[in-house]
Amino acid sequence: MSKVAAATPSPLRAVWLKWRFHLNVLLLLVPLGFMPKYLADAALFRGDSGIGERVAGEVQVGPWSLTLAEFRNEGPRPDPAGPMKFFNAALCANCAEQVKATYLRIGKPRSLRAAGVIFFGTPYRMGALLPVPERTPADAELWVTMEGWDGTMHQGSIALSQASPATIAWLNKQGVKP
Amino acid sequence: MSKKSRSKLWFLVHSWLALPIWFFVLIVCVTGTLAVVSQEIVWLANPEIRASKPSDDAEPLSYDQVINAIKRAEPLVIVQSIIRPDESHFALSVTLSYPDGRSVEVYVNPYTGAIQGISPAFDFKQFTRALHGWWLVPFTNGFSWGWYLVSALGLPLLASLITGLVVYKRFWKGFLRPTLRIRHGARIFWGDFHRLSGIWSIWFIAVISITGTWFLIQAILGDNQISISSEPIVPVIARENVPTSAPGVPAPMIALDDAIEIASQRIPGLETSFVFLPLNAYSHLQIGGRGWYPLMFQTAQINPYTGEVAVSHLLSNRSTLEFVTESMRPLHTGDFGGLWIKLIWAFFGLVLSMMVLSGLLIWTKRTALATLHALKRSHKAPRQAAAVAALQAEMTEGNQ
Repeated sequence: MSKVAAATPSPLRAVWLKWRFHLNVLLLLVPLGFMPKYLADAALFRGDSGIGERVAGEVQVGPWSLTLAEFRNEGPRPDPAGPMKFFNAALCANCAEQVKATYLRIGKPRSLRAAGVIFFGTPYRMGALLPVPERTPADAELWVTMEGWDGTMHQGSIALSQASPATIAWLNKQGVKP
Repeated sequence: MSKKSRSKLWFLVHSWLALPIWFFVLIVCVTGTLAVVSQEIVWLANPEIRASKPSDDAEPLSYDQVINAIKRAEPLVIVQSIIRPDESHFALSVTLSYPDGRSVEVYVNPYTGAIQGISPAFDFKQFTRALHGWWLVPFTNGFSWGWYLVSALGLPLLASLITGLVVYKRFWKGFLRPTLRIRHGARIFWGDFHRLSGIWSIWFIAVISITGTWFLIQAILGDNQISISSEPIVPVIARENVPTSAPGVPAPMIALDDAIEIASQRIPGLETSFVFLPLNAYSHLQIGGRGWYPLMFQTAQINPYTGEVAVSHLLSNRSTLEFVTESMRPLHTGDFGGLWIKLIWAFFGLVLSMMVLSGLLIWTKRTALATLHALKRSHKAPRQAAAVAALQAEMTEGNQ
């Protein structure tokens, strides 16, 4: 029991005493504030707003090609296995049947076995979770490897700065760790 | 501490548990109630989600027949998954990948294979679950803070149940002599209502608060990378086990119905109510369904080229701890035994929401009076006296 309460309360204090336990109604502002984000995310996951927040462009891979997009236009997200960046892609219209598997890697792979992370999904919409080491140089290249059903292999690349400017900004912010 | 002042303390704890956050608790209860029957609400609102029989003797199609029917209607789409809902009045939930990059749930008639409709951009079912489950706060790194905010309510709810039962002495008498006095004013009515609905929902409040607290524990475990799962990590299909074929000719996969047949023979008791088609050329086909224990699912990962069962995760593989922890979610949502269980959950969800409201009404009616008295006498007597008097009136009333 505070001494202030015992004295004749000011009107302001009376209002506070009356309404303090209803202040939690303000918690409703949280879902209201997140509503646009929730709806935008729902559209992003459904693909109503395309295969990703930012389409990086076409990557030519031998006779084939794909459209590469950043699922979210942002830097890599923290993960127990290290920072990860999610890319989405769609195969070219006439190569959907041709391509058995598509892989993504930072730097040129030496062989098919080191082609990087594999894309999951359909030729119309597939995704790959790419590990991005914090020491990745800003001029790194993103390499796409595609494998045909007969075992043929083709490679193509896109500059990381073109594939994801947000990742470059993130790398610059990290600085090179010793 | 004397017996009297101890029970006073219990009472104070009980009164204060939900009060400062009453509206938040109320909305979580109401949205939870809606989430339980959200699928049914959509069923009422949208005829496309209903599984109407074309004729009385119509038989449900097999998974392959469904895929073929979809392919005939939409030759370019790719079927990603098919889920047969527990209740037969719901259409199949099929995820389709469209050439324009959309990956959306569509409602497919289980008897004809007709695509009855595409799920709307605003998914009421998902929305109520997201609002109830994590207050719409996005998941960016591990569990969202909204998830923590909501699931932490499990603890005050459990404490409310325990303190409520301690305060309401000889509560079991309420079962034999139910009291709901209507003509003695709002304060008495809401007090009776709070106690009566409270004792009849002891089991439900216990289930919801314990499972809710489990969601909190789950988030803490998850965010600290602690796993208690016996679920095997499924390796991709080895490169040499995926057949090579002619250029432009995908390696042939076995028919889905055959794969299910092989798996059912190999794993007795495996029922298939959902199938997830392979995610790429090196990924397995996943099938699954409920076993003898209705609260958990069994799954099998099948090599789509040979039909070989690569990995299975069955009831018999689960540890005792997993039987407890995996039962938590269905127990919370009431989604494990058809419409009637959902309706029971929804009813008690409504009762629980009303308990929050009646608790608040009791508090405002009592405390408003007490405060008024206290303010009037603030010069003469300490304010405490009135509050204590009101409190004693409250406590004796419940023990009549």
